[in-house]
Amino acid sequence: MEAIWLYQFRLIVIGDSTVGKSCLIRRFTEGRFTQVSDPTVGVDFFSRLVEIEPGKRIKLQIWDTAGQERFRSITRAYYRNSVGGLLLFDITNRRSFQNVYDWLEEARSHVQPHSIVFLLVGHKCDLEPQRQVTRQEAEKLAAAYGMRYVETSARDAINVEHAFTELTRDIFQLVRNGDINIQEGWEGVKSGFVPNVVHSSEEVTKSDRRCLC
Amino acid sequence: METAEHGDVVLVLPVDVNENEEAERTTTVPFDVVVVHASNLQRHYIQSSPALCERNSGGLMHGSPEGAPPAAAKPPNAASSVPDSEGLPSESSAKLPSPSPSTLSENTSNSPNTEPSMRENLSECSLPARPLGLRTNPNITVSLSCDATPLSPEDGDMFFGDADGSRNTYDIGRRQSAPEKLPDGSTGLSSSKKFGISDFFTRNLFSRKPKEPKPPSQNAPGWRLFGKVPQRENTTKDPKDSFTIQQEYQVKVGPAPGQQVQLSAARRKNLEFEPLSTTALILEDRPSNLPAKSVEEAMRHKQEYDEMVAGAKRRELKEAQKKKRQMKERFKQEDSIANAMVIWNNDVLPNWDCMRNTRRVRELWWQGLPPSVRGRVWSLAIGNELNITPELFEIFLSRAKERWRSFSETSSENETEDSGSLQADRESSLDLIKLDISRTFPSLFIFQKGGPYHDLLHSVLGAYTCYRPDVGYVQGMSFIAAVLILNLEEADAFIAFANLLNKPCQMAFFRVDHDLMLKYFAAFEVFFEENLPRLFNHFQINNLTPDLYLIDWIFTLYSKSLPLDVACRVWDVFCRDGEECLFRTGLGILRLYQEVLLQMDFIHMAQFLTRLPDDMAADNLFSCITATQMLSSNRKWGQVFSALMKDGSKEIANHSPAPRS
Repeated sequence: MEAIWLYQFRLIVIGDSTVGKSCLIRRFTEGRFTQVSDPTVGVDFFSRLVEIEPGKRIKLQIWDTAGQERFRSITRAYYRNSVGGLLLFDITNRRSFQNVYDWLEEARSHVQPHSIVFLLVGHKCDLEPQRQVTRQEAEKLAAAYGMRYVETSARDAINVEHAFTELTRDIFQLVRNGDINIQEGWEGVKSGFVPNVVHSSEEVTKSDRRCLC
Repeated sequence: METAEHGDVVLVLPVDVNENEEAERTTTVPFDVVVVHASNLQRHYIQSSPALCERNSGGLMHGSPEGAPPAAAKPPNAASSVPDSEGLPSESSAKLPSPSPSTLSENTSNSPNTEPSMRENLSECSLPARPLGLRTNPNITVSLSCDATPLSPEDGDMFFGDADGSRNTYDIGRRQSAPEKLPDGSTGLSSSKKFGISDFFTRNLFSRKPKEPKPPSQNAPGWRLFGKVPQRENTTKDPKDSFTIQQEYQVKVGPAPGQQVQLSAARRKNLEFEPLSTTALILEDRPSNLPAKSVEEAMRHKQEYDEMVAGAKRRELKEAQKKKRQMKERFKQEDSIANAMVIWNNDVLPNWDCMRNTRRVRELWWQGLPPSVRGRVWSLAIGNELNITPELFEIFLSRAKERWRSFSETSSENETEDSGSLQADRESSLDLIKLDISRTFPSLFIFQKGGPYHDLLHSVLGAYTCYRPDVGYVQGMSFIAAVLILNLEEADAFIAFANLLNKPCQMAFFRVDHDLMLKYFAAFEVFFEENLPRLFNHFQINNLTPDLYLIDWIFTLYSKSLPLDVACRVWDVFCRDGEECLFRTGLGILRLYQEVLLQMDFIHMAQFLTRLPDDMAADNLFSCITATQMLSSNRKWGQVFSALMKDGSKEIANHSPAPRS
């Protein structure tokens, strides 16, 4: 039996190839940074538990996708079952930022009728001298799409935890408010094993009381 | 300098040797051997004679003058001449770096130089010489590698057992350390005065003479060494090493001899060592300056010692047997590869077309292609339907180079015929190639920038994008090209690469023809259900669809997911059997790990399958592949697949919740 967690959220990480998706995820789930690692072919899987409030743990299932455009037709199939997403661009690569629009459009059109909560992530912020995208414009874009914006660095472990926890908190709020619901056949949010201690009335009604380890 | 590992004998030298010269008139070499393991061993410590130490140190001394008579590299006989139960042999000291030659005053003069002689004689024995500067410094830990190979010629034989002393080891037995036994007087130990570590290595550990109660007055208690001494695989040709003996020592200068030697216990306390399966020097009796053991204590210790020795012996035997088996296997394999190679070279390759489909050749093929013929067989099997010539390769290569040059020279906002996006695409393709190359088999350091095959990989991939702009570069290709480059020459690698990617399955995947891919997955699932119904069901329940694990496997032809040697075997069969083999291999993998997978949930299964264990053995996988029958309701792969092509959607819907675009 696994640790007790309230919910399981499926997150998808998208963005151009080489922006650093795999590195960011590895830093978050394994605590390490490797300069060189295999290119993601298809999709890779990671998981980690986060505690968004004392006693409230969420299990994150993270899908790391291949960024090359060619793979989009494969990865677009995965949006539908994700509740949250990190949309990465590389602050030292202008084109990766420009492509954010495309990614968003892509995601939106394929996630219907569900919705995904996105977090815009400007990655590789440790490479300040080579910055090609200003914080302001990124924040502007994020605001326009109703997303938060965070700048991260997997190499220097800047804001990595923060990015994932913020997104998780946002999603958790929406789940609590009933804006996002658990549905049969939808993988985005699954409820975990909840002990008899009741946290709130919403959770009582929501949880299936089944162990999903 | 190395750190102690279990199995190390740690010799502890006193700090200031000079002082002790007087105090320990006879034998003492301020020298304690700490036994690095079982706690009860820590009660024992060792002292040895200065003479011995001197000899050893002589051996270690780098620039020492010559002249010393050959050290006793003579194993057995030398050993047997010394009664075991006596005192410490003057020569049996394991003290290596003598802190200063002067301590061992009387010996020093007599052993002007053990080094050269020792160096000569110890046939396979050598001690790394301790640099001059280190010798007199206390608390310097020096690692000495001693590779004695008193082993019998057959690898893997037991280390001990024979009483005839023809084996290695380590029982120096007990000798009286008496002045007469000192080097100048020489001992019966060996004809040579210079007796060093090699000598005690050549003693037979277990051929102990019946124990006699030691007189308490014995001031140089005997010590013994037991256990397996790991044989050094490669004798270092480090100029500093004048000897290699089959033991590794870490010498530490420790407290003076007169001091309590609780150093061992205290010092080693926090190190974890596995008891018994190590080497050790133990002292059976306490040094004279401590109260002697009571008879019963001595008996108890003796018993413990015996048990340890027996245990170590058993372990040794087991390990030796295992090693023997492994060697046998390896020889067998090498033999069969050598034989196969002859057949391939003489019979098959010259008559490729008529031989390739014979049962005999197919069988041989399945066993795995000998590495030296692999490239050629792959080339022949993949063929060259596209009729690419080496000249054509050169043309595309130079075109690619041209393009790279122009990209780097001009800015990315080029006004060209191509639409901006195509330009961008090409450029990002280029960047992607560069980046992917650096990520291809990074642990081999072959394809990275500066590595021997970096440019070659770049050339093959770049030329391909020029040759097939409709396909371009897709992540995963770098692995395929890399494996080909490891086995073929440049132009041949390119030709094989282009033709390989042109095969229907590869084309479908690299162009990400979604519908076609789904059909492949569906066909896969037909045979999946047929062969592994329980696992199939488990996957269904957990929504683990084939795309989630097959894409990486098929795209890279398993070169990213399997250990390289296993992947090459898979490629061998792929070249023989075609695309069906790729899916059969997938089923083989699932079968191999079926039990483990059945216990996992979705995310763990997904993680497992995308990161297969890297200790997978080719044989295990291949037995699972063999056990996988590509037959379902009497239909073979080809038939199932064609059927799916015809009424695709119906089958797909029945089989799996495959992703839809």
